[in-house]
Amino acid sequence: MRLGRVIGRVTLSRQDPAFRGARWLVVSPMSRPQLSKLDDELVSESPSCVVYDDLGATLGDIIGFVEGAEATAPFENPTPIDAYNAAIVQNVNYQPAS
Amino acid sequence: MILARVDGNITSTVCHETLRGWRLLILQGIDEQGKDCGDPVIAIDEHGAGIGDRVFYTTDGSSTREHVGDEHSPLRNMIMGVID
Amino acid sequence: MFLAKVIGKVVSTKKDPVMTGQRLLLLRPQLVDPNDPSKFRDGSNTIVAVDKLGAGEGEMVLFCQGSSARQAEGLKPLPIDAAVIGIIDSVEVLGQNVYKDNA
Repeated sequence: MRLGRVIGRVTLSRQDPAFRGARWLVVSPMSRPQLSKLDDELVSESPSCVVYDDLGATLGDIIGFVEGAEATAPFENPTPIDAYNAAIVQNVNYQPAS
Repeated sequence: MILARVDGNITSTVCHETLRGWRLLILQGIDEQGKDCGDPVIAIDEHGAGIGDRVFYTTDGSSTREHVGDEHSPLRNMIMGVID
Repeated sequence: MFLAKVIGKVVSTKKDPVMTGQRLLLLRPQLVDPNDPSKFRDGSNTIVAVDKLGAGEGEMVLFCQGSSARQAEGLKPLPIDAAVIGIIDSVEVLGQNVYKDNA
């Protein structure tokens, strides 16, 4: 699970039948520099991705998102997603050694 | 499993139900010399690892799901042990 | 998932028979430009993805990768690792509309 900042959202005009009322977030993954400066720029150098959301995250939220096959685990039926919002982060306590 | 250093933790109240109750630690992958490699990841922990501790964690979702006891859990990273 | 622009399609005669009849599109991932978040910048990869939604060249799509791609409708028997799962209507970044499908 990686941490990312919600920087936007996506709407679809046509989609795979597996999705009904799905919300899609544009997320900027947080690397070490972003974690150390939580108040700074929301958009990092890491490639921005789109994450499936059913927790109701909004612009500016920090989320914990899972990628790959694990993103499909929460669903009963086959769901073709490779990034899923698993947690809206309330508090980050980051004290790196270096 | 991957070698890592505990750099922090996060808390979350709005999350997937299978995350509830788990300590969620921020891990920084390190090489055998302790040099940082890769981006930080979040892992669940039940060994009481603290900030600064070196740990090793699994990236196999199926064993983490089995441990959590729910096949619908999206969790993948789990700390297996703290290094002496 | 990533946003991507459809930049072309792939035609292949010699291929795994199970891929017969499948539409293969060439995609260029679109990433939010950290220097100007109202724009996209091209990702460095070119992806070949199966498309069941009929996306056209120049359109913006949402695609998924890895084993999850095979969970798209009708794609389970295919040995693929990328599938178009949506056609984009709009993208909003930092409160600004940065893409709108005019079709």
